[in-house]
Amino acid sequence: MTRASVPRRTLVAMSGGVDSSLAAALLVEAGHDVIGATMKTFCYSGGTTHARSCCGLDGIVDARLVADRLGIPHYVFDVEEDFTRDVIDDFVSEYARGHTPNPCVRCNSYTKFGDLRRRARELGCDAIATGHYVRVRHDPGVSRLLRGRDHAKDQAYFLWGVDPSILPDLEFPVGELTKSEVRERARALGLVTADKPESQEICFVPTGDYRDLLEKRLAPRHPALEPGPLVLEDGTVVGEHDGYSAFTVGQRRGLGGGFGRPMFVLEVRPETREVVIGPREALAIDRVRIETPHWHGAPPDEGSRVAVQMRHRGDAHACRVTHADPETLLLTLDARCPAVAPGQSAVIFDGDEVLGGGRIAARLRPAPVSV
Amino acid sequence: MDPIYLDHAATTPMRAEVREAMAPYHSEVFGNPSSTHRWGRQAQAALERARGRVADALGVERREVVFVRGGTESDNLALLGRADATRSGQQTPCIVTSAIEHKAVLDAARSVEVDGGRAIVLPVDGSGVVDLDTLDLAFDASPSLVSVMWVNNEIGVVQPIEEIVERCRHHGVPVHSDGVQAIGKIPVRLDDVPLDLLSISGHKVCGPKSSGALFVRAGTELHARIHGGGQEGGLRPGTQDVAGAVGLAEAVTLAVAEAASARTHYLELRDRLIDRLRAALPDLRVHGAGAEVAGHILSVGIPGLSPEMLMISLDMEGLAVSGGSACQSGSTSESHVLRAIYGNEAIAATIRYSFGRTTTRDEIEEAAERTARVVQKLRVDAI
Repeated sequence: MTRASVPRRTLVAMSGGVDSSLAAALLVEAGHDVIGATMKTFCYSGGTTHARSCCGLDGIVDARLVADRLGIPHYVFDVEEDFTRDVIDDFVSEYARGHTPNPCVRCNSYTKFGDLRRRARELGCDAIATGHYVRVRHDPGVSRLLRGRDHAKDQAYFLWGVDPSILPDLEFPVGELTKSEVRERARALGLVTADKPESQEICFVPTGDYRDLLEKRLAPRHPALEPGPLVLEDGTVVGEHDGYSAFTVGQRRGLGGGFGRPMFVLEVRPETREVVIGPREALAIDRVRIETPHWHGAPPDEGSRVAVQMRHRGDAHACRVTHADPETLLLTLDARCPAVAPGQSAVIFDGDEVLGGGRIAARLRPAPVSV
Repeated sequence: MDPIYLDHAATTPMRAEVREAMAPYHSEVFGNPSSTHRWGRQAQAALERARGRVADALGVERREVVFVRGGTESDNLALLGRADATRSGQQTPCIVTSAIEHKAVLDAARSVEVDGGRAIVLPVDGSGVVDLDTLDLAFDASPSLVSVMWVNNEIGVVQPIEEIVERCRHHGVPVHSDGVQAIGKIPVRLDDVPLDLLSISGHKVCGPKSSGALFVRAGTELHARIHGGGQEGGLRPGTQDVAGAVGLAEAVTLAVAEAASARTHYLELRDRLIDRLRAALPDLRVHGAGAEVAGHILSVGIPGLSPEMLMISLDMEGLAVSGGSACQSGSTSESHVLRAIYGNEAIAATIRYSFGRTTTRDEIEEAAERTARVVQKLRVDAI
């Protein structure tokens, strides 16, 4: 359980959404001395239009309205410089090398919690809270990150990269609740964010189309944005695409028809600008390789049984650790599953507990099936 | 711990006299000043009385006062209105201004540039005073307008307006000044200083928000920026806010009448605050040192701190002040004023204290103590 019953000075990250709004409200209710903060991650004024300057952004305004309602101070932390370096630059370079990044994971791992920890110390806070649907179990000497009680909303997938030394200071007040309970309680408290829709898009790509961003940040005529061949696994060219950065392993959209069956992206090859496509069954993998794994405790032993989750809200696949060293983690899945793009996060669980995670490396083809 | 408000350069509380003066004009005397009937006439009379009071306070003619909605709008009308007037004379507009202006002036000047005109930005010296030699050079560009603020809103430095006006008159160039921080702080009489355009704002002198005026000397060519029913001599169309104008007039009248005694009071508070802060923080730097200042603003740099955390920590100690300059969201960004003064030098985290008519010596003593406490704590944490 959390230590919510002990009143502490708590810094709560408020995005302006309902989850973090209620997180702040619950902490206030529990008698904590709460300070709200919204992180300004990038300047939202798009180009030359003055319509939505960074000053007027909805999230900041909503968070301020909620803080005012709760009677707590609220500050804006400008983390734009760090966010651009650690998240946006990485996002662009991952697409440039044919990978599919997880910017929210990068933000949590590099920007958000590190910055919150530094500020919390300066503000004399003992604890840090966010509105994530996860839980943290504080046992003597060790704090463990767990999935949220509401598995449909669980956000543990995004938090594998946090520095484990921060876990003892974290509180996730909505981790014990379901989304509908959160909305209900937010409504009961009259929070303006109670019925605010979920944010689905990447915060710095509000239109959902990241190609503009890549065009702005990559060199002119970067191969990731130039036409290239659509090929089958045997090398047969079956069409052309207008930039491999638009493709991710497992994607079906945008491949055209005429193949007689649904086709999927199997691989992106930046060096030849090829996008390899094939039928669904060709996507299947039975092993996963993870680059530079990050662990919350001791790394699991080779041979130990764990579960791996490779997409947000995706299933956790039962698997065995077949190799573990500081550079590489190799997992063998009990059952085949569709491949996931390199660059995406693979999170390692023991039941509800996050053991660690890493970025998925290039797809490993299954071993030939012996008849 | 009682909170202390030392951010009067940001805005001020409305004083009782202003509130009372405005009271009848919300629902009793509510007419549209442009209407012919008695309601309209009554409202118009109130509006024109207010205009007369503002004119008297500034030492100008009643017809030279244009009511607008605040200081920013006033600055914009002056610059953009001059630029448009120049364009209509088939000439390329050129605005000469200074690097330490309020954004309302600097950004308006930039927009003139974006629209094909010119903007010449005069540098300042190490105390934040505009360089007059560069001004002399700028006259070669046949400016449409020279715009230099009277008192800088971040560091309180008074600009040599008399000297600037004299040089502009010599070259036949109209002069505008943003007088928002000067009214009620130093003597502002346009019969002594023959400016062509002056911007003032109500809420900086205990008047209502969104009230302001532009003084336009008779004969100054100026074009409207918005279009409509022809109110305010066509320069600011739209039904006038009579209550706002009455409140502005009351606030400005009182502020100007009290300016001399206020100045003495503010300068004393400022010296006291400098003394107390210096005693606790010897490495403190007073911005604008060496120049003439309006005493209600004190801006100091304190090395070795994050500006953002300094502001937040001061707020948590119950001390309301400003940083270098604040964006609407409350996130801090670098001050263009300090950048203009210090060039490439690193700029220390800055606190702007600004006093109001109700500020007391005790509050100043307490503010110095709280500041020292916060700085010492942040410095310990930074180690």
